Amino acid sequence: MLHALTAFLASGDWYDLRDLGNTVGAVLDDLRSAGFPDWSVYVISSLIGAVGILLWGILSCLAFIWIERRVVALMQNRKGPNRVGPAGLLQPVADAIKLLLKEAITTTGADHILFWAAPIIIFVPTLAVFAVLPFGPKMTLSDLNVGVLFLIAIAGINTPSVFLAGWSSNNKYAMLGAMRTIAMLISYEIIQVLALLGPVIFVSSMRLGDIVGWQDHYNVWLIVLQPVGILGYIIAGAVETNRSPMDIAEAESEIVAGYHTEYGGIKFGFFYQAEYLAGFAIAGAIVSLYLGGWTLWGAENYIPPWIIFLGKLYSVFFIYIWTRGTLPRLRIDQLMAFAWKFLLPIMLVNVLVVGGEVLVWREWEPADEVALSIIAAINLIFGVALVMAWARFLGHGKGNQKGGRAILTQEVGRIYFDPETVAR
Amino acid sequence: MNSAGVEIAFWVLAIMTIGSAVAVVMVRNIIHSFVALISTFAGVAGLYVTLSADFIAITQILIYIGAISILFLFAIVLTPQAERQNQEGFLKFPALGLCAAVSAVLIYVALDTNWNIAGGDGFSETATQIGVLLLDKYVLPFEVASALLLVAVVGSIVLVSPEPPVEDD
Amino acid sequence: MTIKSEPFIVNVGPQHPSTHGVFRLRLTLDGEKIIDADMVMGYLHRSMEKLAEERTYTQNIPFTDRTDYLSAMTGNLAYVMAVEKLLGIEVPERALWLRTIMAELQRIASHAMAVGIFANDCGAWQTPVMHMFRDREKILDLFEMACGARLTLNYMRIGGVSKDIPPEWLPQARKLLAELPARFAEYEDLLLENEIIVARARGIGTLTPEQAQAYSVSGPMLRASGVAWDIRKADPYAAYDKVDFDIAVGRNGDVFDRFVVRLAEMRQSLRILEQAVDMIPGGPVHARWGTATVQPWGQAVAPLAFRPPVGEAYARIESPRGEIGYYIVSDGGPAPFRFHIRSPSFINLTPLKLMTVGVTVADAIVILGSVDIVVGEVDR
Repeated sequence: MLHALTAFLASGDWYDLRDLGNTVGAVLDDLRSAGFPDWSVYVISSLIGAVGILLWGILSCLAFIWIERRVVALMQNRKGPNRVGPAGLLQPVADAIKLLLKEAITTTGADHILFWAAPIIIFVPTLAVFAVLPFGPKMTLSDLNVGVLFLIAIAGINTPSVFLAGWSSNNKYAMLGAMRTIAMLISYEIIQVLALLGPVIFVSSMRLGDIVGWQDHYNVWLIVLQPVGILGYIIAGAVETNRSPMDIAEAESEIVAGYHTEYGGIKFGFFYQAEYLAGFAIAGAIVSLYLGGWTLWGAENYIPPWIIFLGKLYSVFFIYIWTRGTLPRLRIDQLMAFAWKFLLPIMLVNVLVVGGEVLVWREWEPADEVALSIIAAINLIFGVALVMAWARFLGHGKGNQKGGRAILTQEVGRIYFDPETVAR
Repeated sequence: MNSAGVEIAFWVLAIMTIGSAVAVVMVRNIIHSFVALISTFAGVAGLYVTLSADFIAITQILIYIGAISILFLFAIVLTPQAERQNQEGFLKFPALGLCAAVSAVLIYVALDTNWNIAGGDGFSETATQIGVLLLDKYVLPFEVASALLLVAVVGSIVLVSPEPPVEDD
Repeated sequence: MTIKSEPFIVNVGPQHPSTHGVFRLRLTLDGEKIIDADMVMGYLHRSMEKLAEERTYTQNIPFTDRTDYLSAMTGNLAYVMAVEKLLGIEVPERALWLRTIMAELQRIASHAMAVGIFANDCGAWQTPVMHMFRDREKILDLFEMACGARLTLNYMRIGGVSKDIPPEWLPQARKLLAELPARFAEYEDLLLENEIIVARARGIGTLTPEQAQAYSVSGPMLRASGVAWDIRKADPYAAYDKVDFDIAVGRNGDVFDRFVVRLAEMRQSLRILEQAVDMIPGGPVHARWGTATVQPWGQAVAPLAFRPPVGEAYARIESPRGEIGYYIVSDGGPAPFRFHIRSPSFINLTPLKLMTVGVTVADAIVILGSVDIVVGEVDR
């Protein structure tokens, strides 16, 4: 093995950072040729990938805790953390140390086993999502042929674990938060599935690597072909990761912190980090499915593809930070009505339209550029028209969603009460 | 089962599946048994993976862990005093008898069947084949199932929708 | 078919992020729907009314800071007006104008806080409240210039105000008044046209004028229900009869209208202030009465103890939260025989059950936010 490694290091390829997959692949080839059995090579490669993703996840979380706090502080005319380390950069580290050292409190009457297990259970599926995300051409831990389905299935595992956290802590706010989460997640899972169907129909593969490859091959990002799809997916992603304006499950002003009200110390740290990782996972899925993954019109030949991917991922994640600093929260029934009455019909029609377009494309076989530009134009115009028409049909934009102004008067004692009929 | 990895995975998953299945009926706390049930589902999904049936495995996770378990949850939450420990009941002995009978039948069938061992490396793309089969050979059952689901959805909406106020005439 | 579920009792408070203090709301829920609401008060009861009976009239002024601590000026003002009524003191013109200016600045600061916290209750995570704090901070700077304190101001005195404003005060106030219209326009654009806030606040917590009057609700809550009632107009005090302003009234009586009325009142306060900074006359800021002396630099040294004639007096003013009234009974001694506060927060809170039963938990929080209570004033 030593011989193989030295030979590899001397070969001059190892520093090729454009694709870390090359480096790992070379190590594995050497191991295999050095006589290691196949399964041990397999185990080592998965360990390298898993540890790498875990390290990246933790570092990104730490960085984004600082970025989010500073960015939201900028939006709010504050300075944000600026005392620990240069520009407050060490604040997340200090927070992490604090969380680690805090006393592990279990509430009275809590279900001890589940109370401790819930933060761990919630962490596992969140990390597992990264297994199918293509960070670069050769940098997918496991490019499953059902990758898209895997994304949805793993997101579904979150539901019972959130419930366990809420149930086991013997707290009514936690229970309310858990029930809200379940109601929200199962509604928005449907939206998520329908949003993902669009890219799958275009590419006719559920492998995320193929989807990125398709976008690379036709030189078009699926956001152009699927504007409605990415809209639905971003909204469903915000629901899944409890981001404003859908942070109903941990609505601070209503139910304190939702399902993790009773969690403190490192147990809370797990929830906190799982939430960030889930956000990164959603952003990564959006990047792979709609924004061309690691491709950037040829720039991937000069810049390491994984840097392109991460740059896109962080940019998408920034949208969620932005909305958090900007938007108020919806009420749960409004959110559910939005899913079932608004998004679901639009998504269903979108899937139908995409199916028709792909069918026509395959039947008539026009030139790819022509077909794609026509499809993009149709989908954009159709999407905008559909959203506006459906909103109008449901009674939006007819004036009763507009805020009023106060009446100004000098007549003391006169009564101006005259309620408009407001649909609730 | 030609490699050590699959062998190890099979035994780990089998122990996990059967152990948590036993736990489902043995533990007294209904939420604990719910967790054990999820673990069983996950174990079965793992077994599908060892059979290189990716699509079925993911579907198992999606539908059983993601959806069926939520149905269980609703049942638990809607049951009064769900937190109460499972109590001893006189149904214990009939249940034991029934379980014994079912297990006996299953074991007999398993032992009696002449199991074929599939050769080759398994399918590479199960999802495509399932999709083609569903929309080709089995299109009628597929459509019937979707019609059935639609009826169920409409029925449940009718059941839970609030009754319209009675109008005086 | 109905699915029966057990009622579920949730204590919102006394430790809760959005009770605005230590107020406790005991909600009985059916799922997310509220079927019963109980208000439990008294966690911040400091026995002010009883304590005031042991202290002299002048010593009681700091108590009035600490009832409604977000609007200390108006608490001060109502109390000193009651004592002045009891004593029959004529307050100098400049002091009346200063009182008007301070009360209106305080109204802007308090409404900014109320509107920001309301948006926070709607879930806008801290952003509106932080923007509102920017303006409130500048107003507090002005207060600090005038009297040295920022929150518990203790500025009003029986017979005037504690000291005259420094010469650089009016230019700085004018500078702030020039900045504010653009800010208010920004808030109105961002909040009043925000579809989520409209969806959250329209049509919930509605009070009809009859209900509002029956519960003796006052202030922006009453005006949101469409009743054009403002003590500044109906029973003018200080210098309000000399300035021109409108009463802002709502039409629907719901949470959103309270919000709208508060924003409109901020604009009206600005209008009053713009007139007041130009119209304020010179002269003394403290009446010469009893043993009161005024130092050459304008500092009033009010008598610490005096014995008003036997009698009773009630003075009411329009505080940012509604009608705040002080009822004082004198038995001729150095301390009031009875000291009672008609606190608007407490009385505006009474229809809370009427408003919250039947809505969801999320709505209840928004409704509570729209009442704009200060628990220091509720419990006193």
